[in-house]
Amino acid sequence: MATIREKGYSHWDGALVERKLPWWPITRTGIQLAFRRKHFKFFFSVSFLPAVVFLVGIYISERIEDFKFMIQGSENLIKINPAFFKTYFTNDFLLFMMVMLLVFSGAGLIADDLKHNALQLYFSRPIDKKDYFLGKAAVIFFFILALTLVPGLVLFVMKLVFSGNFKLLTSYPWLLPAIIGYSALLTVFFAFYTLLLSALSKNRRYVTILIFAIYIFSDVVYGITFGIFRSPYVALFSLKANFQQAGAVIFGQRLPYAYPGYLSFLVLFGICAVSAAVLHRRIRGVEVIK
Amino acid sequence: MTAVIETRNLSKWYGNVLGLSDVSLGIEPGITGLLGPNGAGKSTFMKLLTGQLKPNIGSVSIFGRRIWNDFGTFAKIGFCPESDAFYEEISGLEFLTGLLSFHGFSKAEVRARAAKALDIVGLTGDKDRKIRGYSRGMRQRVKFAQAIAHDPEIIILDEPLSGLDPLGKRKLIHLIKDYRDQGRTVLVSSHVLPEIEAMTSHIILIHQGKILAQGDIHYIRDLIEAHPHVISIKCGDPRGLAAKFVNEPYVLKILFGSSGDSLVVETHKRDAFFGRLNQVVLESALRVEEITSPDDNLQAVFDYLVGK
Repeated sequence: MATIREKGYSHWDGALVERKLPWWPITRTGIQLAFRRKHFKFFFSVSFLPAVVFLVGIYISERIEDFKFMIQGSENLIKINPAFFKTYFTNDFLLFMMVMLLVFSGAGLIADDLKHNALQLYFSRPIDKKDYFLGKAAVIFFFILALTLVPGLVLFVMKLVFSGNFKLLTSYPWLLPAIIGYSALLTVFFAFYTLLLSALSKNRRYVTILIFAIYIFSDVVYGITFGIFRSPYVALFSLKANFQQAGAVIFGQRLPYAYPGYLSFLVLFGICAVSAAVLHRRIRGVEVIK
Repeated sequence: MTAVIETRNLSKWYGNVLGLSDVSLGIEPGITGLLGPNGAGKSTFMKLLTGQLKPNIGSVSIFGRRIWNDFGTFAKIGFCPESDAFYEEISGLEFLTGLLSFHGFSKAEVRARAAKALDIVGLTGDKDRKIRGYSRGMRQRVKFAQAIAHDPEIIILDEPLSGLDPLGKRKLIHLIKDYRDQGRTVLVSSHVLPEIEAMTSHIILIHQGKILAQGDIHYIRDLIEAHPHVISIKCGDPRGLAAKFVNEPYVLKILFGSSGDSLVVETHKRDAFFGRLNQVVLESALRVEEITSPDDNLQAVFDYLVGK
């Protein structure tokens, strides 16, 4: 005969907060964990070096008479215009440091969950796959925007402050949207790129190598194929070249490679689309069939 | 009692591999043991119950509501997975507060609940230590803590006792029984049959994706007609006792123990045998030291049903 058990507990009667950002706990944990990694704070700080140098450049550009002895013949280099911002956003060092930050903050985002079977902990709670992806992607958004949009806006505002007028704004009204647009492009691309690679392995070390190697190797492939074919189109193999080409289009500058700029957008968005498809397949309720 | 968890024609397959086939059952409050060999479909069943997997056919209802994509119902379930599912670099307290944040509690409530859950599992002193430094038993306990921290009405535990020392096992079994006594529904899977026996006599036996049996273990045992009951009797005169049963039609076999002080009887009518045994003992003033049924336990039922 079955035992009749009476409900001997009562539930908490406080109000539950309706979470507008259900993915936020995932993001917060991801950011916290990144800052706990060895040497991460150092790399993160060093990543702001270009921003500091460009900020000094803006200051000098407004005190050109005071620094004339330093910049003889180099006045054109510190003209504050869209080219100046394009140079900041597409410089090799900044892109390299972004990849380094992805290695530290992004390699384990999904790989660690796959390794520990943590997906079942997430998906048995009130969040879905979309929230999971958003939470993980937002970690990348945080770090890449910290190196692109935030310094870009600071440089823009500081130019207005140092010059004491709105000439930059009135001369180049599309510059602010360009800063936001290029930052968004880099952020979205790097989020897909990192999450894709992180979802391909359970081993964080392999993912670290992949993130770094694919970025470098794509440039090497470009160098080799250009040496053989002498075609500018082979620059499409290089992630860095595509960023620089897309950056030139967005900031309205002369294209560094002799092929239509939209092709670089196609390559970058194509990689994002493939990443989304792979992620959709990789992240699901996992059942081990032995 | 009404079933808290109900499944109807529940089926799940992965490509050509069958995970679960046509499972229709109800699970009532109390502890229910989920038994089955590796690959039987236990984990698939648990993931379907917790809404992590979408059934190919059929449905799962929790308190009358379909679980798939119903996040309100997710909050009523606490799930403790079998494998370690941790970020090693965070502390036990951070692990719990992070997971509790998904439920919509205020920050203060999250902290209070995490602290309470860690206290229940005896990890208060280690709450700020990184999980990397936890022993296997501590990891099991923190996993259990995350399953109960949001005060769920249904607790689903996948191999919760593995890795615990005997004392830890005893404490956890006690804790699980406490939840049962509060009227909650607990579903526990285990490969170790005595562990399930220590918690409940109510089982679901699953094999090759199908439910072989569900209900009280002794009742299920009685239903297995193909295998006679084995009864062992330790007494002063086993041969004299055997003589009284030799002519009984329901006795199929009598064996004598090697030590000479016991006999083992096989019968397909257990009630009739025990009725006669009572009579014989009273009539002959026989001194019986021990009566046991070696096959009236989970292991025997398990073996019979899976055809070992």
